[in-house]
Amino acid sequence: MSVRAWNLSQVGLLLRAQPAALREWVNPWRTERALFCLAAIALGAGLYGAAMGCWRSGLQALYTGIKLPLVVLLTTLGNGLLNGMLAPLLGLNLSLRQALMTVLLTFTIASILLGAFSPVAAFVVWNTPPLTDATRLAAAEYGLLQLTHVVFIAFAGVTGNLCLAPLLRQWSGHTAVAHKVLLAWLAANLFLGSQIAWVLRPFIWDPARPVEFIGQEYLRGSFYETVFDAARRLLIW
Amino acid sequence: MIDQNLTPPPLPPLPSRSAPAGAPLGSDPAEQVPITGLLTAVEALLRQPRRVMFQLRQPPVRTVLLALLVIAIACSLIYGLVVGTFSGGTQLWAAPVKIAGGLLLAALICLPSLFIFACLSGAEVRLSEVAGFLSGQLALMAVLLIGFAPVAWVFSQSTESVAAMGALHLAFGLIAAYFGLRFLNTAFAHLNARSGSGLKVWMVIFILVLLQMTTALRPIVGTSDDFLPAKKMFFVNHWAECLKK
Repeated sequence: MSVRAWNLSQVGLLLRAQPAALREWVNPWRTERALFCLAAIALGAGLYGAAMGCWRSGLQALYTGIKLPLVVLLTTLGNGLLNGMLAPLLGLNLSLRQALMTVLLTFTIASILLGAFSPVAAFVVWNTPPLTDATRLAAAEYGLLQLTHVVFIAFAGVTGNLCLAPLLRQWSGHTAVAHKVLLAWLAANLFLGSQIAWVLRPFIWDPARPVEFIGQEYLRGSFYETVFDAARRLLIW
Repeated sequence: MIDQNLTPPPLPPLPSRSAPAGAPLGSDPAEQVPITGLLTAVEALLRQPRRVMFQLRQPPVRTVLLALLVIAIACSLIYGLVVGTFSGGTQLWAAPVKIAGGLLLAALICLPSLFIFACLSGAEVRLSEVAGFLSGQLALMAVLLIGFAPVAWVFSQSTESVAAMGALHLAFGLIAAYFGLRFLNTAFAHLNARSGSGLKVWMVIFILVLLQMTTALRPIVGTSDDFLPAKKMFFVNHWAECLKK
Protein backbone atom coordinates (compact mmCIF):
# COMPACT_ATOMS: atom_id res chain seq x y z
CA MET A 1 0.00 0.00 0.00
CA SER A 2 2.79 2.40 0.86
CA VAL A 3 3.99 2.25 -2.75
CA ARG A 4 0.46 2.64 -4.11
CA ALA A 5 -0.32 5.61 -1.93
CA TRP A 6 2.64 7.55 -3.26
CA ASN A 7 1.92 6.64 -6.86
CA LEU A 8 0.98 9.65 -9.00
CA SER A 9 -1.96 7.70 -10.39
CA GLN A 10 -3.57 8.24 -6.98
CA VAL A 11 -3.93 11.91 -7.92
CA GLY A 12 -6.07 10.95 -10.92
CA LEU A 13 -8.04 8.58 -8.73
CA LEU A 14 -8.77 11.36 -6.24
CA LEU A 15 -9.73 13.87 -8.94
CA ARG A 16 -12.12 11.45 -10.63
CA ALA A 17 -13.73 11.25 -7.18
CA GLN A 18 -15.47 7.93 -7.76
CA PRO A 19 -17.24 7.11 -4.51
CA ALA A 20 -15.81 3.56 -4.28
CA ALA A 21 -12.22 4.82 -4.64
CA LEU A 22 -12.72 7.67 -2.18
CA ARG A 23 -14.35 5.34 0.31
CA GLU A 24 -11.27 3.13 0.15
CA TRP A 25 -9.18 6.20 1.01
CA VAL A 26 -11.28 7.06 4.02
CA ASN A 27 -11.94 3.62 5.42
CA PRO A 28 -9.89 1.90 6.76
CA TRP A 29 -7.56 4.60 8.07
CA ARG A 30 -4.00 4.35 6.68
CA THR A 31 -1.25 6.68 7.79
CA GLU A 32 0.38 6.57 4.33
CA ARG A 33 -2.77 7.97 2.78
CA ALA A 34 -3.01 10.75 5.33
CA LEU A 35 0.66 11.58 4.70
CA PHE A 36 -0.02 11.62 0.96
CA CYS A 37 -2.83 14.12 1.54
CA LEU A 38 -0.56 16.30 3.69
CA ALA A 39 2.16 16.20 1.02
CA ALA A 40 -0.33 17.03 -1.74
CA ILE A 41 -1.65 19.99 0.27
CA ALA A 42 1.87 21.23 1.06
CA LEU A 43 2.91 20.94 -2.59
CA GLY A 44 -0.27 22.10 -4.34
CA ALA A 45 -1.21 24.98 -2.04
CA GLY A 46 2.48 25.77 -1.56
CA LEU A 47 3.08 26.18 -5.28
CA TYR A 48 0.03 28.39 -5.62
CA GLY A 49 1.10 30.41 -2.58
CA ALA A 50 4.52 30.94 -4.11
CA ALA A 51 2.89 32.21 -7.30
CA MET A 52 0.77 34.59 -5.21
CA GLY A 53 3.70 36.01 -3.28
CA CYS A 54 6.19 36.31 -6.14
CA TRP A 55 4.60 39.59 -7.28
CA ARG A 56 6.25 41.26 -4.31
CA SER A 57 9.54 39.36 -3.86
CA GLY A 58 11.16 35.97 -3.66
CA LEU A 59 10.96 36.04 0.14
CA GLN A 60 7.24 36.84 0.08
CA ALA A 61 6.80 33.93 -2.37
CA LEU A 62 8.54 31.64 0.11
CA TYR A 63 6.45 32.89 3.03
CA THR A 64 3.15 32.67 1.17
CA GLY A 65 4.19 29.25 -0.14
CA ILE A 66 4.40 28.12 3.48
CA LYS A 67 1.41 30.07 4.79
CA LEU A 68 -1.22 28.94 2.28
CA PRO A 69 -0.83 25.21 3.10
CA LEU A 70 -0.74 26.22 6.78
CA VAL A 71 -4.15 27.87 6.45
CA VAL A 72 -5.53 24.67 4.95
CA LEU A 73 -3.99 22.37 7.56
CA LEU A 74 -4.85 24.54 10.58
CA THR A 75 -8.44 24.83 9.36
CA THR A 76 -8.69 21.05 8.94
CA LEU A 77 -7.26 20.41 12.41
CA GLY A 78 -9.14 23.23 14.14
CA ASN A 79 -12.48 22.05 12.79
CA GLY A 80 -11.68 18.31 12.96
CA LEU A 81 -13.57 17.75 16.19
CA LEU A 82 -16.53 19.93 15.19
CA ASN A 83 -16.85 18.35 11.73
CA GLY A 84 -16.67 14.89 13.31
CA MET A 85 -19.52 15.81 15.68
CA LEU A 86 -21.70 17.51 13.07
CA ALA A 87 -21.72 14.53 10.66
CA PRO A 88 -23.52 12.04 12.96
CA LEU A 89 -25.78 14.77 14.33
CA LEU A 90 -26.91 15.57 10.79
CA GLY A 91 -27.52 11.91 9.99
CA LEU A 92 -24.23 10.60 8.55
CA ASN A 93 -22.71 7.97 10.79
CA LEU A 94 -19.03 8.80 10.32
CA SER A 95 -16.39 8.29 13.01
CA LEU A 96 -14.22 11.22 14.02
CA ARG A 97 -11.29 9.79 12.05
CA GLN A 98 -13.39 9.16 8.95
CA ALA A 99 -14.76 12.70 9.09
CA LEU A 100 -11.25 14.12 9.48
CA MET A 101 -9.98 12.07 6.53
CA THR A 102 -12.98 13.07 4.39
CA VAL A 103 -12.38 16.77 5.04
CA LEU A 104 -8.66 16.24 4.44
CA LEU A 105 -9.54 14.66 1.07
CA THR A 106 -11.66 17.71 0.20
CA PHE A 107 -8.72 20.00 0.89
CA THR A 108 -6.34 17.63 -0.93
CA ILE A 109 -8.43 17.82 -4.09
CA ALA A 110 -8.67 21.61 -3.72
CA SER A 111 -4.89 21.87 -3.22
CA ILE A 112 -4.14 19.67 -6.24
CA LEU A 113 -6.37 21.98 -8.26
CA LEU A 114 -4.54 25.01 -6.87
CA GLY A 115 -1.22 23.40 -7.74
CA ALA A 116 -2.48 22.94 -11.30
CA PHE A 117 -3.57 26.59 -11.39
CA SER A 118 -0.23 27.84 -10.07
CA PRO A 119 1.40 28.20 -13.55
CA VAL A 120 -1.63 30.20 -14.69
CA ALA A 121 -1.45 32.34 -11.55
CA ALA A 122 2.29 32.83 -12.08
CA PHE A 123 1.59 33.84 -15.69
CA VAL A 124 -1.01 36.39 -14.50
CA VAL A 125 1.51 37.77 -11.97
CA TRP A 126 4.21 37.93 -14.66
CA ASN A 127 1.88 39.94 -16.88
CA THR A 128 0.87 42.30 -14.07
CA PRO A 129 2.73 45.64 -13.90
CA PRO A 130 5.48 45.16 -11.30
CA LEU A 131 5.23 46.48 -7.78
CA THR A 132 6.93 49.89 -7.39
CA ASP A 133 7.11 52.60 -4.71
CA ALA A 134 4.26 54.35 -6.51
CA THR A 135 1.91 51.35 -6.24
CA ARG A 136 -0.99 51.95 -3.88
CA LEU A 137 -3.55 49.63 -2.30
CA ALA A 138 -6.18 51.08 -4.64
CA ALA A 139 -4.07 50.30 -7.73
CA ALA A 140 -5.93 48.46 -10.50
CA GLU A 141 -3.18 45.85 -10.89
CA TYR A 142 -3.35 44.93 -7.20
CA GLY A 143 -7.14 44.68 -7.39
CA LEU A 144 -6.89 42.45 -10.45
CA LEU A 145 -4.43 40.14 -8.67
CA GLN A 146 -6.63 39.91 -5.59
CA LEU A 147 -9.68 39.12 -7.69
CA THR A 148 -7.83 36.49 -9.74
CA HIS A 149 -6.62 34.69 -6.63
CA VAL A 150 -10.02 34.84 -4.97
CA VAL A 151 -11.63 33.29 -8.07
CA PHE A 152 -9.03 30.51 -8.32
CA ILE A 153 -9.11 29.67 -4.62
CA ALA A 154 -12.91 29.79 -4.39
CA PHE A 155 -13.22 27.59 -7.48
CA ALA A 156 -10.77 25.04 -6.07
CA GLY A 157 -12.50 25.03 -2.67
CA VAL A 158 -16.00 24.59 -4.05
CA THR A 159 -14.85 21.89 -6.50
CA GLY A 160 -13.09 20.01 -3.70
CA ASN A 161 -16.32 19.97 -1.72
CA LEU A 162 -18.51 19.03 -4.67
CA CYS A 163 -16.23 16.06 -5.46
CA LEU A 164 -17.11 14.59 -2.09
CA ALA A 165 -20.87 14.97 -2.60
CA PRO A 166 -21.45 11.64 -4.43
CA LEU A 167 -19.53 9.74 -1.74
CA LEU A 168 -21.51 11.34 1.08
CA ARG A 169 -24.74 10.74 -0.85
CA GLN A 170 -24.02 7.04 -1.25
CA TRP A 171 -22.79 6.75 2.33
CA SER A 172 -25.85 8.32 3.87
CA GLY A 173 -28.36 6.95 1.39
CA HIS A 174 -30.05 10.38 1.33
CA THR A 175 -29.23 13.38 -0.86
CA ALA A 176 -30.60 15.78 1.76
CA VAL A 177 -28.32 14.40 4.50
CA ALA A 178 -25.26 14.59 2.22
CA HIS A 179 -26.06 18.20 1.34
CA LYS A 180 -26.62 19.15 4.98
CA VAL A 181 -23.29 17.64 6.06
CA LEU A 182 -21.42 19.24 3.14
CA LEU A 183 -23.00 22.62 3.84
CA ALA A 184 -22.22 22.42 7.56
CA TRP A 185 -18.60 21.45 6.86
CA LEU A 186 -18.26 24.16 4.20
CA ALA A 187 -19.66 26.82 6.56
CA ALA A 188 -17.46 25.74 9.49
CA ASN A 189 -14.32 25.56 7.33
CA LEU A 190 -15.05 28.90 5.67
CA PHE A 191 -15.68 30.54 9.05
CA LEU A 192 -12.45 29.36 10.68
CA GLY A 193 -10.39 29.43 7.47
CA SER A 194 -11.15 33.11 6.90
CA GLN A 195 -9.94 34.01 10.38
CA ILE A 196 -6.77 31.89 10.12
CA ALA A 197 -6.01 33.48 6.74
CA TRP A 198 -6.61 36.87 8.35
CA VAL A 199 -4.12 36.11 11.14
CA LEU A 200 -1.51 34.81 8.69
CA ARG A 201 -1.78 37.74 6.23
CA PRO A 202 -0.30 39.28 4.09
CA PHE A 203 -0.30 36.79 1.25
CA ILE A 204 0.38 39.19 -1.60
CA TRP A 205 1.64 42.51 -0.28
CA ASP A 206 1.38 45.08 2.50
CA PRO A 207 2.67 48.56 1.61
CA ALA A 208 3.00 49.55 5.27
CA ARG A 209 5.26 46.69 6.34
CA PRO A 210 8.48 45.03 5.20
CA VAL A 211 8.35 41.41 4.08
CA GLU A 212 7.74 39.31 7.20
CA PHE A 213 6.17 35.94 7.96
CA ILE A 214 3.52 37.25 10.39
CA GLY A 215 3.68 40.78 11.78
CA GLN A 216 2.76 41.41 15.42
CA GLU A 217 -0.18 43.64 14.54
CA TYR A 218 -1.74 40.96 12.37
CA LEU A 219 -2.70 39.07 15.51
CA ARG A 220 -5.06 41.93 16.43
CA GLY A 221 -8.65 42.12 15.24
CA SER A 222 -10.63 39.59 13.28
CA PHE A 223 -11.72 39.16 9.70
CA TYR A 224 -15.39 39.51 10.64
CA GLU A 225 -14.92 42.66 12.71
CA THR A 226 -13.21 44.26 9.72
CA VAL A 227 -16.01 43.21 7.39
CA PHE A 228 -18.58 44.44 9.92
CA ASP A 229 -16.80 47.80 10.31
CA ALA A 230 -16.53 48.20 6.55
CA ALA A 231 -20.24 47.44 6.11
CA ARG A 232 -21.13 49.86 8.91
CA ARG A 233 -19.04 52.65 7.34
CA LEU A 234 -20.66 51.97 3.99
CA LEU A 235 -24.18 52.08 5.44
CA ILE A 236 -23.53 55.23 7.51
CA TRP A 237 -22.21 57.04 4.44
CA MET B 1 -14.21 -9.83 -23.70
CA ILE B 2 -13.55 -6.56 -21.93
CA ASP B 3 -16.42 -5.13 -19.95
CA GLN B 4 -17.12 -1.67 -21.35
CA ASN B 5 -19.35 -0.65 -18.47
CA LEU B 6 -16.95 1.34 -16.28
CA THR B 7 -19.62 2.64 -13.90
CA PRO B 8 -18.98 0.99 -10.55
CA PRO B 9 -21.88 -0.51 -8.64
CA PRO B 10 -23.43 1.83 -6.06
CA LEU B 11 -21.92 1.68 -2.58
CA PRO B 12 -24.00 0.35 0.26
CA PRO B 13 -24.82 3.14 2.72
CA LEU B 14 -23.00 3.25 6.05
CA PRO B 15 -24.82 1.54 8.91
CA SER B 16 -27.62 3.84 9.96
CA ARG B 17 -27.50 5.50 13.37
CA SER B 18 -30.26 3.24 14.69
CA ALA B 19 -33.79 2.14 13.94
CA PRO B 20 -36.10 4.38 11.87
CA ALA B 21 -37.21 7.53 13.69
CA GLY B 22 -40.80 6.34 14.19
CA ALA B 23 -39.89 2.91 15.60
CA PRO B 24 -40.37 2.40 19.34
CA LEU B 25 -37.28 2.94 21.51
CA GLY B 26 -35.33 -0.28 22.04
CA SER B 27 -36.61 -1.95 18.85
CA ASP B 28 -33.00 -2.09 17.65
CA PRO B 29 -30.95 -4.52 19.81
CA ALA B 30 -28.04 -2.04 19.72
CA GLU B 31 -30.18 0.43 21.68
CA GLN B 32 -30.56 -2.06 24.50
CA VAL B 33 -26.82 -2.28 25.16
CA PRO B 34 -26.24 -0.56 28.53
CA ILE B 35 -24.21 2.66 28.54
CA THR B 36 -21.15 2.15 30.70
CA GLY B 37 -18.61 4.93 31.05
CA LEU B 38 -18.47 8.55 30.04
CA LEU B 39 -16.87 8.06 26.63
CA THR B 40 -19.52 5.53 25.66
CA ALA B 41 -22.16 8.05 26.70
CA VAL B 42 -20.57 10.79 24.57
CA GLU B 43 -20.34 8.39 21.62
CA ALA B 44 -23.95 7.34 22.11
CA LEU B 45 -25.16 10.96 22.37
CA LEU B 46 -23.63 11.75 18.98
CA ARG B 47 -24.22 8.49 17.10
CA GLN B 48 -27.02 6.62 18.86
CA PRO B 49 -29.23 9.19 20.58
CA ARG B 50 -32.07 6.65 20.65
CA ARG B 51 -29.87 4.37 22.74
CA VAL B 52 -29.48 7.13 25.33
CA MET B 53 -33.23 7.78 25.28
CA PHE B 54 -34.01 4.09 25.72
CA GLN B 55 -31.55 3.75 28.60
CA LEU B 56 -33.06 6.82 30.26
CA ARG B 57 -36.44 5.06 30.29
CA GLN B 58 -35.04 1.93 31.97
CA PRO B 59 -34.93 2.00 35.78
CA PRO B 60 -32.71 2.82 37.53
CA VAL B 61 -32.18 6.04 35.55
CA ARG B 62 -29.57 7.28 38.03
CA THR B 63 -26.42 5.83 36.39
CA VAL B 64 -27.00 7.26 32.90
CA LEU B 65 -28.36 10.52 34.32
CA LEU B 66 -25.25 11.01 36.45
CA ALA B 67 -22.96 10.16 33.53
CA LEU B 68 -24.74 12.75 31.37
CA LEU B 69 -24.52 15.38 34.11
CA VAL B 70 -20.79 14.73 34.59
CA ILE B 71 -20.28 15.11 30.82
CA ALA B 72 -22.27 18.35 30.80
CA ILE B 73 -20.30 19.81 33.71
CA ALA B 74 -16.86 18.66 32.51
CA CYS B 75 -17.35 19.81 28.92
CA SER B 76 -18.83 23.19 29.90
CA LEU B 77 -15.93 23.72 32.32
CA ILE B 78 -13.45 23.07 29.50
CA TYR B 79 -15.32 25.38 27.14
CA GLY B 80 -15.47 27.97 29.92
CA LEU B 81 -11.69 27.79 30.23
CA VAL B 82 -11.40 28.62 26.52
CA VAL B 83 -13.80 31.53 27.06
CA GLY B 84 -11.67 32.67 30.00
CA THR B 85 -8.48 32.78 27.91
CA PHE B 86 -9.85 35.89 26.19
CA SER B 87 -9.48 38.02 29.33
CA GLY B 88 -7.13 35.84 31.37
CA GLY B 89 -6.58 36.49 35.11
CA THR B 90 -9.52 35.65 37.34
CA GLN B 91 -11.68 34.92 34.30
CA LEU B 92 -9.69 31.72 33.80
CA TRP B 93 -11.64 30.20 36.71
CA ALA B 94 -14.66 32.53 36.82
CA ALA B 95 -15.78 31.90 33.22
CA PRO B 96 -15.77 28.07 33.54
CA VAL B 97 -17.65 28.26 36.85
CA LYS B 98 -20.21 30.69 35.42
CA ILE B 99 -20.79 28.72 32.21
CA ALA B 100 -21.12 25.32 33.91
CA GLY B 101 -23.13 26.81 36.78
CA GLY B 102 -25.32 28.88 34.47
CA LEU B 103 -26.16 25.89 32.28
CA LEU B 104 -27.10 23.76 35.29
CA LEU B 105 -29.04 26.57 36.93
CA ALA B 106 -31.01 27.25 33.74
CA ALA B 107 -31.86 23.53 33.52
CA LEU B 108 -32.87 23.40 37.17
CA ILE B 109 -35.08 26.48 36.82
CA CYS B 110 -36.80 25.02 33.76
CA LEU B 111 -37.10 21.39 34.93
CA PRO B 112 -40.42 21.80 36.79
CA SER B 113 -42.08 23.54 33.84
CA LEU B 114 -40.79 20.87 31.47
CA PHE B 115 -42.34 18.13 33.62
CA ILE B 116 -45.63 20.04 33.89
CA PHE B 117 -45.77 20.67 30.14
CA ALA B 118 -44.98 17.00 29.48
CA CYS B 119 -47.83 15.89 31.76
CA LEU B 120 -50.22 18.46 30.28
CA SER B 121 -49.53 17.15 26.80
CA GLY B 122 -50.49 13.66 27.94
CA ALA B 123 -47.00 12.16 27.97
CA GLU B 124 -46.46 9.05 30.09
CA VAL B 125 -43.30 10.07 31.88
CA ARG B 126 -41.78 10.28 35.36
CA LEU B 127 -39.87 13.26 36.75
CA SER B 128 -36.63 11.24 36.82
CA GLU B 129 -37.03 10.48 33.11
CA VAL B 130 -37.67 14.13 32.30
CA ALA B 131 -34.57 15.03 34.32
CA GLY B 132 -32.67 12.38 32.37
CA PHE B 133 -33.75 13.77 29.00
CA LEU B 134 -32.88 17.28 30.13
CA SER B 135 -29.43 16.16 31.27
CA GLY B 136 -29.00 14.47 27.88
CA GLN B 137 -29.82 17.78 26.23
CA LEU B 138 -27.29 19.62 28.42
CA ALA B 139 -24.62 16.98 27.79
CA LEU B 140 -25.09 17.16 24.02
CA MET B 141 -24.92 20.96 24.13
CA ALA B 142 -21.73 20.90 26.18
CA VAL B 143 -20.10 18.24 23.97
CA LEU B 144 -20.85 20.36 20.90
CA LEU B 145 -19.36 23.40 22.63
CA ILE B 146 -16.13 21.42 22.99
CA GLY B 147 -16.19 20.98 19.21
CA PHE B 148 -16.42 24.77 18.86
CA ALA B 149 -13.68 25.38 21.43
CA PRO B 150 -10.69 25.39 19.00
CA VAL B 151 -12.50 27.89 16.76
CA ALA B 152 -13.38 30.08 19.75
CA TRP B 153 -9.77 29.95 20.95
CA VAL B 154 -8.41 31.13 17.58
CA PHE B 155 -10.74 34.14 17.69
CA SER B 156 -10.10 34.89 21.38
CA GLN B 157 -6.37 35.12 20.70
CA SER B 158 -6.70 37.58 17.83
CA THR B 159 -9.44 40.01 18.80
CA GLU B 160 -9.81 42.49 21.65
CA SER B 161 -13.50 43.22 21.06
CA VAL B 162 -15.70 41.95 23.90
CA ALA B 163 -18.82 42.43 21.75
CA ALA B 164 -17.37 40.34 18.89
CA MET B 165 -16.34 37.52 21.23
CA GLY B 166 -19.68 37.70 23.03
CA ALA B 167 -21.53 37.41 19.73
CA LEU B 168 -19.36 34.47 18.68
CA HIS B 169 -19.95 32.55 21.92
CA LEU B 170 -23.64 33.35 21.71
CA ALA B 171 -23.81 31.96 18.17
CA PHE B 172 -21.98 28.78 19.24
CA GLY B 173 -24.28 28.46 22.26
CA LEU B 174 -27.40 28.81 20.11
CA ILE B 175 -26.18 26.21 17.60
CA ALA B 176 -25.43 23.82 20.50
CA ALA B 177 -28.86 24.60 22.00
CA TYR B 178 -30.53 23.80 18.65
CA PHE B 179 -29.04 20.29 18.61
CA GLY B 180 -29.72 19.82 22.32
CA LEU B 181 -33.37 20.80 21.94
CA ARG B 182 -33.66 18.56 18.90
CA PHE B 183 -32.52 15.67 21.12
CA LEU B 184 -35.19 16.56 23.68
CA ASN B 185 -37.85 16.87 20.98
CA THR B 186 -36.98 13.40 19.61
CA ALA B 187 -37.07 11.93 23.12
CA PHE B 188 -40.49 13.46 23.82
CA ALA B 189 -41.83 12.10 20.52
CA HIS B 190 -41.65 8.64 22.14
CA LEU B 191 -43.71 9.55 25.21
CA ASN B 192 -47.13 9.18 23.56
CA ALA B 193 -47.90 12.88 24.02
CA ARG B 194 -51.12 14.16 22.43
CA SER B 195 -49.50 17.42 21.35
CA GLY B 196 -46.02 18.85 21.04
CA SER B 197 -47.02 22.48 21.44
CA GLY B 198 -46.28 22.50 25.20
CA LEU B 199 -42.72 21.40 24.53
CA LYS B 200 -42.30 24.13 21.92
CA VAL B 201 -43.42 26.75 24.43
CA TRP B 202 -40.98 25.29 26.96
CA MET B 203 -38.14 25.50 24.42
CA VAL B 204 -38.76 29.23 24.01
CA ILE B 205 -38.74 29.64 27.79
CA PHE B 206 -35.49 27.66 28.11
CA ILE B 207 -33.74 29.76 25.46
CA LEU B 208 -34.90 32.98 27.15
CA VAL B 209 -33.61 31.73 30.52
CA LEU B 210 -30.26 30.83 28.93
CA LEU B 211 -30.00 34.26 27.30
CA GLN B 212 -30.86 36.02 30.56
CA MET B 213 -28.23 33.88 32.31
CA THR B 214 -25.56 35.53 30.10
CA THR B 215 -26.56 38.86 31.68
CA ALA B 216 -27.28 37.66 35.22
CA LEU B 217 -23.81 36.09 35.47
CA ARG B 218 -21.94 38.85 33.61
CA PRO B 219 -19.15 39.33 32.85
CA ILE B 220 -18.51 35.94 31.26
CA VAL B 221 -16.36 37.28 28.43
CA GLY B 222 -14.94 40.61 29.66
CA THR B 223 -13.49 41.57 33.06
CA SER B 224 -14.91 43.06 36.24
CA ASP B 225 -13.85 43.63 39.84
CA ASP B 226 -16.89 41.75 41.09
CA PHE B 227 -17.69 38.08 40.51
CA LEU B 228 -21.39 38.87 39.98
CA PRO B 229 -23.01 42.17 38.89
CA ALA B 230 -24.73 44.43 41.42
CA LYS B 231 -27.03 46.03 38.84
CA LYS B 232 -29.97 43.99 37.57
CA MET B 233 -30.60 44.19 33.87
CA PHE B 234 -32.57 42.53 31.04
CA PHE B 235 -30.34 40.77 28.51
CA VAL B 236 -31.49 42.90 25.56
CA ASN B 237 -30.47 46.09 27.40
CA HIS B 238 -27.12 44.58 28.38
CA TRP B 239 -26.32 43.56 24.81
CA ALA B 240 -27.35 46.96 23.48
CA GLU B 241 -24.96 48.58 25.98
CA CYS B 242 -22.15 46.24 24.93
CA LEU B 243 -22.67 47.15 21.27
CA LYS B 244 -22.64 50.88 22.06
CA LYS B 245 -19.22 50.50 23.71
